[in-house]
Amino acid sequence: MTITTSKSSQEKKVTRFDNWWFLVIAVIALLLILIFLVPDPYQRIFVFVQNGIGTTISITGISFLLVLILGLLVALARLSKSWIIKGISTIYVEVVRGIPMMVQLIFWYFAFPSVIQSVGKWLNIQAFVDYRANPVAMAILGLTIGYAAYMSEVYRAGIQSISRGQMEAARSLGMTYIQAMRYVILPQAIRVILPPVGNEFITLLKDSSLVSVVAVADMTRRGREFQAAHFLPIQTWVMIALLYLVMTLFATRVVAWMERKFKMEK
Amino acid sequence: MEPIIHIEEVHKHFGAVHALRGVSLDVEKGEVILIIGPSGSGKSTLLRCINRLEEFDAGRIVVDGIPLDTAENINAVRTEVGMVFQQFNLFPHLTVLDNITLAQKLIRKRSKAESERIARQLLEKVGIPEKESYFPGQLSGGQQQRVAIARALAMNPKIMLFDEPTSALDPEMIQEVLDVMLNLAKEGMTMVVVSHEIGFAKAAADRVILMDGGQIIEMAPPEELFDHPKEERTRLFLSKVL
Ligand SMILES: Nc1ncnc2c1ncn2[C@@H]1O[C@H](COP(=O)(O)OP(=O)(O)OP(=O)(O)O)[C@@H](O)[C@H]1O
Ligand SMILES: [Mg+2]
Repeated sequence: MTITTSKSSQEKKVTRFDNWWFLVIAVIALLLILIFLVPDPYQRIFVFVQNGIGTTISITGISFLLVLILGLLVALARLSKSWIIKGISTIYVEVVRGIPMMVQLIFWYFAFPSVIQSVGKWLNIQAFVDYRANPVAMAILGLTIGYAAYMSEVYRAGIQSISRGQMEAARSLGMTYIQAMRYVILPQAIRVILPPVGNEFITLLKDSSLVSVVAVADMTRRGREFQAAHFLPIQTWVMIALLYLVMTLFATRVVAWMERKFKMEK
Repeated sequence: MEPIIHIEEVHKHFGAVHALRGVSLDVEKGEVILIIGPSGSGKSTLLRCINRLEEFDAGRIVVDGIPLDTAENINAVRTEVGMVFQQFNLFPHLTVLDNITLAQKLIRKRSKAESERIARQLLEKVGIPEKESYFPGQLSGGQQQRVAIARALAMNPKIMLFDEPTSALDPEMIQEVLDVMLNLAKEGMTMVVVSHEIGFAKAAADRVILMDGGQIIEMAPPEELFDHPKEERTRLFLSKVL
């Protein structure tokens, strides 16, 4: 009797624990081994790119939060009955998805300030003429506007996967559109969209390396600087690649964990 | 006395389909109206116009003195009118209890305790007090439909609309839902029911309406309409159903 109960509780633990965490641990172990057992050059590289790690994480984190909000607003706009709102949001999504992310980032950092300055000269507004782009702010703006277009499609598919009867039942009880979305539609849609939202996060994390071309000192840019100064390309890029890998593998496991949690609650 | 539902020359198009062709109907307080008719005749559309789930193109509908025009009025009418759907449309992510309390808390501004007390009373009334912590997916169709009725009643509606409430149910579950509806009718609830349950019509309906092609063809008390129909189209339809 005791044997069977202990066995079944053990089984439960095994199914709840996700074996792929070992891969995350293995990559972290490899990183630590390199840093502590081969300090020259790996520890030097790590120390050099350290602040770039923080920049990559915070740019990704802030952009992703904004993407979650803007993406939802765009999705609701695309589902709107008003053809003007629908039209504008559709054009936004189609235009943004048709331009490479790198080109968009370059536009926001190099071209957008010039636009503001020209408008300032034309309208005689000194504050606009003096406008200088802040690289980090422009990188976040660019990533947010670019990724919200993709995210809005994820939300839209999720919302549309919920049957029309759900909205009708909520509205017939007297709920407003916003209440029905908040309490009835979105809580159901989130189960559907969690995996693709997680994928968007991981893609955004990787694409954040593009901001290195617009003067942001992220991990990738710090790697290029180290390589330029010390010429150790293999060691430098192995180190940078491992750092990205730890983050993306970790994020993948967190998404998998959240998915299972939602399934269990259901 | 003012009718509680006043429908006047209502027209509705879906693209090229003329789904309602000038429907007029007055429903008195406490009346039970049954609507029958062939598929596609506009029964659901008429019902859905009464709480404005469907916009109509022309005509006028006034519910309990409130004309269905502004967004504010539409919401006011919706809180007075409960609706029960063929597919139940319970919220699958919420327990039975939460299904019944959600709108009470949001719209009637009742406390959690108050709305739960009302929900439990209603579950008692529809005969499933023991299922409050179940999720809809764990209930039979008949039980789900009874929860849906309780959910609508929790808002204290003055009018209940039923769109084929038993046609998605296995035969052995139909009666338990009809019993709940019969009780409601006895208590004096104003009801508009789309259904082909002739037994329910004879037991509870004050008037039966036959719709065809987006129009009301005939309207009469049940005995009269079922046993001595005046219109040829009514006779034709009844011969197929009965
Ligand atoms: N959302 C819609 N879009 C397009 N056409 C619709 C829509 N809803 C209903 N119709 C059409 O309007 C007409 C009336 O439909 P309605 O659903 O009111 O019929 P019904 O009498 O309820 O039929 P049933 O007994 O099959 O439920 C039908 O021709 C139907 O095809
Ligand atoms: Mg119908």
